[in-house]
Amino acid sequence: MTSRPHLVHPPRLAVWLISLFALAHEAESILGDLLEEFALIVSKSGVTAARHWYWRQTIRTLPRLAGFSFRTAPWLTLTAVAGGFLLRKLIGPLIGSATFAVIQKYQTFFENHFSAYLFFTSTGLDIEHLITFLLIGFIVAYVAREREILATGMLAFIFGSLAIAGSAYMAIMGNDVLQWRLMWYFADSIVIVIAGAIVRTHRLAVKARPSSA
Amino acid sequence: MGDRDFLGEFEHIVLLALLRLEDRAYGVTVRQEIELRTDREVSIGAVYATLDRLERKGYVSSHRGEPTPERGGRSKRFFRVTGVGLKAVGRTHRVIQSMTEGLGLIRSYI
Repeated sequence: MTSRPHLVHPPRLAVWLISLFALAHEAESILGDLLEEFALIVSKSGVTAARHWYWRQTIRTLPRLAGFSFRTAPWLTLTAVAGGFLLRKLIGPLIGSATFAVIQKYQTFFENHFSAYLFFTSTGLDIEHLITFLLIGFIVAYVAREREILATGMLAFIFGSLAIAGSAYMAIMGNDVLQWRLMWYFADSIVIVIAGAIVRTHRLAVKARPSSA
Repeated sequence: MGDRDFLGEFEHIVLLALLRLEDRAYGVTVRQEIELRTDREVSIGAVYATLDRLERKGYVSSHRGEPTPERGGRSKRFFRVTGVGLKAVGRTHRVIQSMTEGLGLIRSYI
């Protein structure tokens, strides 16, 4: 048993996840309630039981928080998601052209450094691809105020579903030439959610600053 | 809300918990009261989702308490049943009573 429950902290990852999904006014009450009960369970049943309880509560609470966030601002969330999808269609070709322009501008350099050319046109393009999606994730998260994770998660789900559909289509057609690229499409979805998490965490930090000063 | 709106099962349970707890009703106590009396684990997310829905329907109202150290400097959100909420509880009770009348449900399940 632990005699000083207030010195034991709940799982940081679980706390962070709740703060990502909850609206600001909800997060304060929910995290406070969970901490209060966590300390109670630590003193009654020990740290391990309390941590398990906290994780169980978190896992069962996150879908509720996402649902509530959506119901309170469905149009804002859907607009951000649709905007992100259209943005991909707009930005994609522009960045592709920019990459091609870079290759042309430094043609002499690339001719003398063929390995650099190979890196730029393979891994470099993949990195450019990820940066594009990171940028889209940032914009979507910025628009979807307080619903950053929900909006970026929905957009990631759409792109992920398209990747699965594309994979299935290619498998049916017997064309596995581009199969290896599909992992990058899933990476796109992950990067979008990471961008959402970064924006949300940054906003929470900015909000917390005046009260902690 | 109209006179024909009935409460969902969990909405009903949450409102009854608020009535039992009176001025001590906030997330922790509501969750514990429901767990104690229904013997099932309830998530804090489910409690808040229901309370927020009930608040938007005008069945409950809420206010913030003072931040406390044991909550990491976070405040409690206290809830109470409004007059409209009380009517909704009464209406639902009457409907359940009317529907179960003469079925002998209680005798057969004891």
